[in-house]
Amino acid sequence: MSTKVLAFINFKGGVGKTACAVNIAATLAKLHEKKVLVVDLDPQSNSSLWLMRPDQWREHVAKGRRSTFEIFDDAIQGKERFNFAESVVKGVVTWTGFVEVPQLHLLPASVELLKVEDRIHELRAPTVYRILERALKDHLGAYDYVFFDCPPNLYSTTKNAIFLSDSCIVPYIPDYLSLSGFQVLAEYIAELRGKYTDSAGDRRHPNVGGVIVSHYRQTGNVFRLAINELEIMLAELRTHGILETNVSLLQPFIRHCVRVAESTSEHLPVVLYAPGCIGAQDYSDLTQNFLTHFHHKR
Amino acid sequence: MNYQELASKLLHTAERVQKHAHKLEGDTINKSAVRLAADVDRFEEILSGFLASRKSGELFLETLLRSPAAKKYVTLELLRKALRETCSKRLKSEELGGAKREFIEAVHASERAEPAVKYLKHAFAEAAYVPPAGKDKAALQHEFLQLGRLSDEDYATTIAKRTFGELRRLAGTNGIRFTDKTTKPHLIKSIRRYARRLAANLPT
Repeated sequence: MSTKVLAFINFKGGVGKTACAVNIAATLAKLHEKKVLVVDLDPQSNSSLWLMRPDQWREHVAKGRRSTFEIFDDAIQGKERFNFAESVVKGVVTWTGFVEVPQLHLLPASVELLKVEDRIHELRAPTVYRILERALKDHLGAYDYVFFDCPPNLYSTTKNAIFLSDSCIVPYIPDYLSLSGFQVLAEYIAELRGKYTDSAGDRRHPNVGGVIVSHYRQTGNVFRLAINELEIMLAELRTHGILETNVSLLQPFIRHCVRVAESTSEHLPVVLYAPGCIGAQDYSDLTQNFLTHFHHKR
Repeated sequence: MNYQELASKLLHTAERVQKHAHKLEGDTINKSAVRLAADVDRFEEILSGFLASRKSGELFLETLLRSPAAKKYVTLELLRKALRETCSKRLKSEELGGAKREFIEAVHASERAEPAVKYLKHAFAEAAYVPPAGKDKAALQHEFLQLGRLSDEDYATTIAKRTFGELRRLAGTNGIRFTDKTTKPHLIKSIRRYARRLAANLPT
C-alpha cells in the first residue's frame, strides 16, 4: 500500500486545520473506502474531541496514556510505553453507541502535550525531529492516508510532523493576516527542507503540497479579492523557488456553514452528521479534488 | 460498540446460558429470558432483511446515493445514463427519490453493483473537478501586480492605452466586481486602488 502522509499546518490559529483534517479524512474513509489515520498533535486535542465523545476521550487518554503525548514523553524520559494498537481509536461512535466509519482511525492527543515543548530541548537536535517517525514508521504502511493535525505553531511537534510527511497542506482564511503569515510559513518549510535533507539524506523533501481556503463567503468582492491576492502570492513564491511548481489552491473553497460547527458538538464529522449541508458538499468536492491532486494527476 | 463486540457479547451470554441451563429457574430470570428471546427474534428478522437485500457493493452504492455529492450532482438524467450503461436497462421513474430506489433495485437484480459504483464515482469526480485557470488568468494577475507597483503618473499613462473591454477583463479576473453601469473612469479607479493594495501587501 502506498501511504500518503500529510501534515495540516499553519502557525495561525482558527484557519480550519482541524476541520479540514477531520472532514477530509472522514470523507475519504466513508465515501472513497480509504483507510485513514488522523494523528492529533495539538494539545487542544480538537480533532480528538471532534471524533470522540468527551467521556470516551478522557478515559482513553487519562494521564496522557494512549495518546501522542506518550510518544514524546517516552522520547524525553527514555521509556517505551507507547503502544500503537492500544492507543489508536477505530471508527467513530455515533449516539446509538455503535461504531461507524471503521476505516477511519485516530491517534488522539492529550492536554499533557503542552508540557512537551518545555522539555524536548533536553534531546539532541537530529533526534528531536525523528520522534514521531520512530514511533509510527512501522504502522503507517497499513493506511492509504495519514494526516497530522498540527498545533498552531512551528515548534517541535510540528517539525516532527513535517519531517515525516510527504507534503504539507496549509488551511487558509482569505484575509491579509493569513496572507502575511503564508509567506513566512512557505519560507520556513523551504528552510526545513534544506535542513532535513542534510540530516536524513534525501529521504524527505517536505514542501507545501496544497492550500485549502476555508470560512469562505461569496458576498461582495472582499473574499474574491483576497483569493486573488493569495493566487498572485503563490505564483510569486513559485517563481522564486520557495514553493514547488505543483502547489495548488485546492477547490472548492470551504464556505462558512453552521452545521459544520454544530457537528463538533455531536462529535461526528459533517459527512456523517449533516450530509446534505453546504459544508458537507464542499468537503465532499474538495476531497474528490484532493484525491485527483495527490494521486491521479490529470 | 461495533458488531464484532456485539457478536462476542452474544456468544459469551449464549455459552453461559448453555452451561447453566439445567439450573436456571424462577420468575425474574424467566421473564427476562422471554423478553430477550423476543428481542433476538426481532433482530434476526431485521438482520435477515438487511443481508438479503444488500451485498457489500450495493451497500456502498446506497451510501454513495445518500452522499453529499449525490445531493448535489445526481439527477434523473444521470441515473438514466448510469442504468443504461451499466445494466442496459431503462429507468421508468420520473421523480428522483423513486428513481434512486428503482436504480438500486435494478442494479441488485442485474448484479452490477461494482460497475454502477464506478460509474457514479467517475461522474462525481468529473462534476467536482475544477480545471486549472490557465495562462491567460496568470498573465492578467501578473499585469495587475505590475500596475500596482507603478507610480501614479506611470499608471495613468499605462492604463490610458487599455480599451474598456481590456479593463473589464483585467478587473473581472482579479476579483473586482462591476456592473454594466460601471464607467471606465470608475473602473480605472477601482483597479488602481486594489492593484496598489496588492502590491503593498505582497513582499517584493
